[in-house]
Amino acid sequence: MNIHRALAITRRIFRGLRHDRRTVALMFLAPIVAMCVFGLAFSGDVEDVKVVVVNQDTEFAVPGLNVPVSFSQAIISNFDKEVLKVEYVADIEEGVHRVEEGDAYAVIIFPERFSESLYMKRQNPSYSGDTTIRVREDRSNVNVANAITKSVTDAILQTAREAGQDLPMKVDAEDAIYGKGAKFMDFFVPGIMAFVVFMLTTLLTLISFVGERTTGNLERLQSTPLRESELVVGYAIAFSIIGMLQTVVLLVIGVAAFDIMIVGNIVLAFAVIALLAVVSLSLGILLSSLAKREAQAIQFFPLIVLPTFLLAGIFWPVEAIPQWLRPLSYLIPPSYAVDATRSVMLRGWGVGEIWVDIVALCGFAAAFLAVAILSLKRGRR
Amino acid sequence: MTSFAIETKGLSKKFGSFTALDNLDLSIETGTIHGLLGPNGAGKTTAIKILCGLLKPNGGEGYVLGKKVPDRSILPEIGYMPQETALYLDLTVHGNLTLYGELFGLSKSRIAEREKELLDFVALQKWRDSLVSNLSGGMKHRVSLACSMIHEPKLLFLDEPTVGVDPELRASFWEYFGLLKKRSVTVVLTTHYMDEAQHCDRIALLRQGQLLAEGTPADVIKSAGVTNLEEAFLALAKRGDARS
Repeated sequence: MNIHRALAITRRIFRGLRHDRRTVALMFLAPIVAMCVFGLAFSGDVEDVKVVVVNQDTEFAVPGLNVPVSFSQAIISNFDKEVLKVEYVADIEEGVHRVEEGDAYAVIIFPERFSESLYMKRQNPSYSGDTTIRVREDRSNVNVANAITKSVTDAILQTAREAGQDLPMKVDAEDAIYGKGAKFMDFFVPGIMAFVVFMLTTLLTLISFVGERTTGNLERLQSTPLRESELVVGYAIAFSIIGMLQTVVLLVIGVAAFDIMIVGNIVLAFAVIALLAVVSLSLGILLSSLAKREAQAIQFFPLIVLPTFLLAGIFWPVEAIPQWLRPLSYLIPPSYAVDATRSVMLRGWGVGEIWVDIVALCGFAAAFLAVAILSLKRGRR
Repeated sequence: MTSFAIETKGLSKKFGSFTALDNLDLSIETGTIHGLLGPNGAGKTTAIKILCGLLKPNGGEGYVLGKKVPDRSILPEIGYMPQETALYLDLTVHGNLTLYGELFGLSKSRIAEREKELLDFVALQKWRDSLVSNLSGGMKHRVSLACSMIHEPKLLFLDEPTVGVDPELRASFWEYFGLLKKRSVTVVLTTHYMDEAQHCDRIALLRQGQLLAEGTPADVIKSAGVTNLEEAFLALAKRGDARS
């Protein structure tokens, strides 16, 4: 291994990039766009959902109180105004019709004498009046429907609390051990960092090496004293640096625009990403030996992107993946990088805690590098 | 050490059932210009790739600079210009030359010297800082030639060095090859142009992986009983067909 020759390759990659603005733009704009688009789209809670309320309830004069009360109005006023946009309609039929027409996502129905029944039930649990709030949703959009149900449930609890009728138990999740006050973006940025570096590095080396092979450059390189291992190491150095630069860009924007949380050692996060870049470029080189032209290489794109996107724990945890699919997650290198960077940035973990991820990534890197070098040597058959 | 830069004995190469090179016996003296001639698929490129260590022979032996190929120790001494352009289009002419200079371990100042010499030779001095992707086909070819010579190899393999090069420049190429010969550089080249082959010290006519004839151009013409190489090739090919 002659490091000067490896560095000659590294330099040539950077020299080439100087004249290839499109690729540079892809390297640095794509991550930013991906982070912002995904971040904004996914972090946004469901908001401004149109619902219609059919309130058949009437005010009820609570014995001993001067003013009549309406529990239904109290609950409605406790709906999260951000989430639900409430409109009233006169009867159930019209409400259902509005949902059927797609004008609203749900009709929320308070039964007749709701307030009275509620009061009476408190006095006598065997009272037979109807106290069920029926929420008839358009569950064609599950997320929206769930947000409506949750908002109604929250409003009931809130109303009960205000009426001094709180449940005699509660949950307090404020005092988190890790990620206290973390938002979606805090969770998401480490994931998207790993995703972007993995995807772009694999893709760029894949295309770049298909080019090396088809243009005859690889043959010319192989006729010089350059060894295949030096060629791969040269690439590895270049793409680790690029991966780390991409990470810096993402972190700067993450901090500046989304105020993301970084409690751990950021250098360790960089190291993990650089390691992931090495894994990715070896994979790219490997795949390049299976493609004869650039157009064929593009066909690998979904093969790389989709499993990573779905199974690497970027958007949802590995625990949310069906059990039988989980082993696949463990076969995807970015899974480990996502886990490690997230642990470093949000939990403040060090090498001592994330060593399993690091060992796994090193294992992938060593195996892929070895096979990538072999695949290059195989050209000399 | 022999005075031969290259010697092959029964060198053979098969790709699946296709025989690219069939029992090639060839000796190329140090400091000569040797032409490998023949139609497409004759085995010229395969022979060069084996001698450069890019392909492994299935049979026979090849010796380059006294070492049995493939042998990495000869790589610093040889220069190879592939048939394809084999340049980085996203680098300048200077960038490509620098890369190969660095891979051969040349110092910065040495690269600069060699770059100047070579760009003068291929008449591309004023294109030094142009991106290769902006150059014409012939210009790329000249850059490619320059890249293969940056480290002053003792032995130069040129696969079709004069394709797409205008006649004037082609003449200057041959002049330069003559100059290299004086510095006892061995040049092995392939060409389609029979008229060009006249400039070679010796030629080998290849067809379907087999050696039809070998010798000085005059010898080959004489042995075929004709007046020029083109006719010699056709006559020898016919003779070969009749024999098989």
